[in-house]
Formats: sequence, C-alpha cells, structure tokens
Amino acid sequence: MSTDASEPALSDVAAGEPIRSLDPSIRSVWMIKMAGLSVLLFLPALFYDLTHLFSPDSWLPFGVLSGTVLVGATLYCLAWPRLRYRAWGFALRPEEIYMEHGVLQHVRTVVPLRRIQHVDVSQDLIEREFALGRLIVHTAGSRSSDVVIPGLPLPEAEEIRDKIKRFILEDPLIEEPV
Amino acid sequence: MPSSSSHAEPDPSSVPSDAASRDASSADEAANGSAPDADAAPAPSTTLGAIHEPQRLHPLTLLLRVGASLPALVLILFPLLRNPDSTENVTSLVLAVMYGVFALPAILLQYWRFSYRITPKQIVIQSGVLTRKNRSIPIERIQNIQIERNLVARVLGLAKVKIETAGSSSTEGSLEYVSVAEARKIRQVVRSFQRGATDADAAPEAEAEEAAVETLFDMPLRRVLLSGAFRFSLLYLAVIFSVLEFFNPETLMQRFMQAGRLEWLSGLVLRHPALAILATVLVAVVLGWISGIAVHLARYYNFRLWLDGDKLRKRHGLFTVTEGTIPLDKVQTLILRTNPFMRAFGWYELKVQTIGIDVEEQGHRVIAPFASAERILELARRVRTFDLPDAFAHVSRLTIRRRFFRYTIVLTALLLPTVYFWPADWLHPGGVALPWWGFGLVPFILGWAVLQYRNHTYAAGDDGFYIRRGVLSHYLWIVPVDKFHVFHVTASIFQQRLGLKTLFVDTAGAAGFAYPEVIDVPGDEADTQFTSLYRRFQQLYRARVETSTGAPDTRLPPEERPRLPTDTPTD
Repeated sequence: MSTDASEPALSDVAAGEPIRSLDPSIRSVWMIKMAGLSVLLFLPALFYDLTHLFSPDSWLPFGVLSGTVLVGATLYCLAWPRLRYRAWGFALRPEEIYMEHGVLQHVRTVVPLRRIQHVDVSQDLIEREFALGRLIVHTAGSRSSDVVIPGLPLPEAEEIRDKIKRFILEDPLIEEPV
Repeated sequence: MPSSSSHAEPDPSSVPSDAASRDASSADEAANGSAPDADAAPAPSTTLGAIHEPQRLHPLTLLLRVGASLPALVLILFPLLRNPDSTENVTSLVLAVMYGVFALPAILLQYWRFSYRITPKQIVIQSGVLTRKNRSIPIERIQNIQIERNLVARVLGLAKVKIETAGSSSTEGSLEYVSVAEARKIRQVVRSFQRGATDADAAPEAEAEEAAVETLFDMPLRRVLLSGAFRFSLLYLAVIFSVLEFFNPETLMQRFMQAGRLEWLSGLVLRHPALAILATVLVAVVLGWISGIAVHLARYYNFRLWLDGDKLRKRHGLFTVTEGTIPLDKVQTLILRTNPFMRAFGWYELKVQTIGIDVEEQGHRVIAPFASAERILELARRVRTFDLPDAFAHVSRLTIRRRFFRYTIVLTALLLPTVYFWPADWLHPGGVALPWWGFGLVPFILGWAVLQYRNHTYAAGDDGFYIRRGVLSHYLWIVPVDKFHVFHVTASIFQQRLGLKTLFVDTAGAAGFAYPEVIDVPGDEADTQFTSLYRRFQQLYRARVETSTGAPDTRLPPEERPRLPTDTPTD
C-alpha cells in the first residue's frame, strides 16, 4: 500500500485537476425560478399596500412595503444566481466525483464512484428551455444521500451518467471484499 | 456470500394488482400457477424445507385482529354506554352496525386472501382483498428475519415474522401471525437456502443450534435493573403523562381532596411555592428513574447475544420477545454510547449501524445495552477489529465561542418576546419581569459550551475514523475505512470568518439523530484530514481490487474491467 502513495495516478482531492463550472445559462434558469418565488412574495405585499391605500391608520406610507420587497427581490434575483454560479464547481475524476458549492454554507464533497447506487438525469420545464439537465447521483449514505449537479448541458449530463454507470457495482453495499 | 443483481422489488412477472374482488379468485389462480413454474425446475434436493404450497397465517390471527379492533368498537359505542337514553345514540348504533357488517368480514377476507410461500429463490407474499398485492422477496437479499412475540401472542403461542432486506428502509414483509414453530421453520429454511445448504444435515444442525453456539453477551436480571437505573429519562415520563391526559385530572384531584388526606399538603404548597417546585422536580426525577428501570426491564429482560456463523443473533424482552439477526458484514459503524452517570461508573452501551434497517431503532441495533468498558471493547472487537487510538485530537477552541454565541442568541430570541408581552400583574421577582431572570442562564451556557468542546475529539487511525461527541449523550463512533461512503467538508459563513470547517464522513444507513460529524476543525487541518481519509479509502480499495483480481487498476474499459468477487456468477 505504501508504494501506492507515490504513484502519480493517485488523484489529489484538494487540487490539481481542473474543476469545471456549470453551464453559464444555469444562471438564467435560477433567476427565472427565483423571480417566480419573488413574485409570490411581492403580490401579498402589493395587496396589503393597495388595500391600505386610503386607510388613515396605516403604519407605512403607500408603496414602502411593496417597494422594499420589489427592490430586495430584484437584487436577490440579480446577485444570487451569480454568487451561486461562482461557488459551484465539479470534476469527474477517474475514481470519484468531486464537487463544491454553496454561498452561505460552502460544501465540498467527494463521492467515490463505487459507492454510487444509481444515477439519474432529470430536467424540469425551465431547464428544458435552456437544454440543461441535472445529474442526480444516489448513494446509500445516511444523510444527504442524493448528490445533485444542476445545470449541465443535457448531452453532457447523459454522457457523464453513462461514464459513471460503468462503475456501478451490481450491489455496492453487499460487495464483500472490496 | 451469494449475491445477485435482482432488486427487492415486487416481481414484475407476477400478476399485477387486480382491482375487482370478483376477479380476484381467478387472479389468485393465475398467480399461483405462474410463479411456482419458475421454481419447479430445481432438483428435488433443493426443495428441502421449501414451503411451496401457499400457506395461510395461523387461524388464531383472526382472534387477535378482532381483539385489536375492539377498542374502536368501544369508542364508537362510548356515547351509548355513557347515557343510554339519549336520542343521539342513533349514529353510534349505525356505526356499530357498520362495524359488524364491514369490519368483521374485512378481517375475515383479509385473512382469507393472505398467503405466503417460500421457494429456494424467493418468499412470495400475496395479500389484499380489493387490490391484490404480490410481493416477492429474493432469498439472498434478506438481511434479517426478526421474530417478535408480544404478550398476547406468547399466550397463544404465536409469533410475528418480519423480513428485512438491505434495499429498503423499512420492513419488507411481515407475517402476522404464524405459530412459533412455523416462524422458526421459516427462518431455518431461509437460512439454509442462503447458505446454499442443500444437504440433509442442515435440519438437525438447526435443532442443536441454540445449545452449541457461544454466547457473547447476556444480562442477568440484576444487570438489567442496574442498566435501567442508569438510564434516567424524562421521555418516558412525558409519555406517561400524556397517557394520564386521557383521565380527567380534576376529578382525580377532587377525589383526593375530598378524602381530606391532602389538605395539609395543599396548604403547604400554597404557603411555600419554592417548596412545591422542588417537590415537583423531585417527584419527576423519581418517576423518571422508575420509568427508566421499567422500560429497560421490559425491553432487555433476558438479553442474550450469540454468534451464529457470520451473524450475530440476539433475543430479549419481557412482554414482547424479539429475536433478531445482525449479519456481521453488514455492520457499518460501531457506536459506543454513554451518559455522564454511566461514564462515572464505567458503563457503556454498544450499538451498530447496519444497512438492513430497523426503523424502530433508528437504523441502529443494540449489541450490548449495558456493560463495562473492557467488556464493551472486547465485544466490539468481536464485531469488527479495530485499534482504538491513544491520542484523540481536540477541535478548535473557537468552537466554544461559536457555541456560546449561538446558544445565547437562541436564548435571547426566546426570552425577549416573553419579556415584551409579560403582563404587569404577573410575577416580578426583584422588580423585573420573570423572563429577565432567564439571562442568569448565560454563565451555564458558557459552561455547557466548554463541556461540549471538551467532549468533542477525533482521531484518524489507520483502520478508521474515530469521533467522540456529546455531553449528556456521549458517543464514540468507530467508522471503519472500508465503510466510508461519501466525504463532506463544509463551512458556513460564520465558520468561514473564523477559518473553521466541519468534517463528515458518511456511511451507508438510515438517517438518525446524531451524525459522526467533526464540527469546527481548523480549516487546514480539516482539508488535510479530508484528503488523507479519502486516500486511505482509495488505497484500501485499490489494494483489495488488486489482490482479488490481479488487475493493476480499476480504470479499464467496461469489457476489461476486473470483475469484482461479487460479480462471480451465482445465477
């Protein structure tokens, strides 16, 4: 085993291999989704403002509440996808998937290919417009057992899936000596 | 180890669910006809013990099920029993009639339509009245056959058989109820099929098994009582009180008061509220203590653990006797647990995390509920060899600060609203609202944070990762290298500011409450550990692949890929 350590083939977890970004258009996808959520937040605020337009005891001048929500939501929709995109990186290495993501909670994860139970590629309505797919890697882990890589061009996601598939054991849990 | 690619999902070849009960009989015919054909081919020797004919459950099951449905009937008839003259009783009468017309036949039909059989390849369970379910559980996927006998079942000589597989997070199949002899036979038959033992001496060996095997651990009555005494728990108390809710507390109290015995007591309580609080706490502690003993007695009475080939088997329980199996190679993580009282006297509990998951134990199986440190380590080494490192490293001291701030903020968030809304005529000790005094807890929070820091250590040995954590419930996780699953290192924004990270090596299993995370490791240290843990895993993997296949590496095109030993043809 000790001879193994000097081998260059032993891929380094921390650095070395190029870490790839997601497809840039994922920012638009995120923005659209966040805008949808923001509208859900904005409409009640607007409703409150309109219904209290002429009430004498309103504790806020007209437009403050909905205006704040609108400005906040816009900033959020503009900035957040960029930050998120910048934080995302992944690499498919010979023996593992490496990924890092998260703005507030920065997470680095290594999933050994042999520990993968199965792999899915999925796509929702908005992602379809941008021809993106998301790779879902299922493991048997006790927490966060599904690892998701969003925003890959669909053909590429499928290609990665097929690459990973080769490594999936018939039963990664029952494998006795390895 | 036999293995196959099949999944523990219902056999697609078997008959799909049939909605109409009028067709069900023909569907049943078809189902019975189709599946055995596949298994009829093997030589007669393999059919030893196989239960080819569809079996019904034990007839007394009917009695038990009707008995189990009686409380519902009582509930329906409750208004009628309370005041028999009311006109509103019509509904409850109608409901009762409906119960007679529908529920009882349903129980009968359910029993009638439930059947199981065991072939050398699979256990087939057919059930359902309106929707027919046809479930096949491949024999080699079965992890555990658990035999459970509650009090009523024991009186009637019945047992519940639960079949668990690795693939699912809950019990895959359940036979309620069969006779005890039948339950043992089912387990025996399945086990012999799993071993591939087709020779005739499998059966006598089974008879003698209980006497011949070596007992690893057992608990005499005194030990069980002692273990309960150390497991003071307010949880059980809460359960007891929630049950008491059903009785009207006021009438109970009134009855007491009228008896006149407690008058001096109530007077005392009114005069000295502090005394009352103290007495309440005392009573709660004593009750919690007693209930802990009672629960442990009921659960672990006659605890016995023994080794049966490559499986651990255990049996315990006072009213409900549970028999379970833990395959040694399915053990993922060893967990030693203790609490401050137990630790002071050197007592520990040993659990394992397995992948054939028992929901009721949160994915953890108790191997030894209560034993001394040496005994526990000795037992743990029987389950898996490991070298407990001498030196454990502490996490960063900054964790005290983080925890202190976090808990203080939570406390403030809880207290400030109550301060704001505290009515002026309520208790104001010392001239301020009572919640203000809650901030007196802040020093204790600091103490708590320090304790958490002191109890949180980790060590990366050659054979695994060792994590200690927890104050009231102190855990030691032993995660073997070959069970590492997914590697995480995370840093929240607060951690990023202080240059800290959280390290987590996941293993296969069910979600639980406490995870073997190492929280607030200095950033560089976390990255180094992360890399070295993964390398250790990688090296172990490669070395094993090389020795078992002779291939230099696993990165080969699929057709040249070394076939792992599990791929060796069994089918």
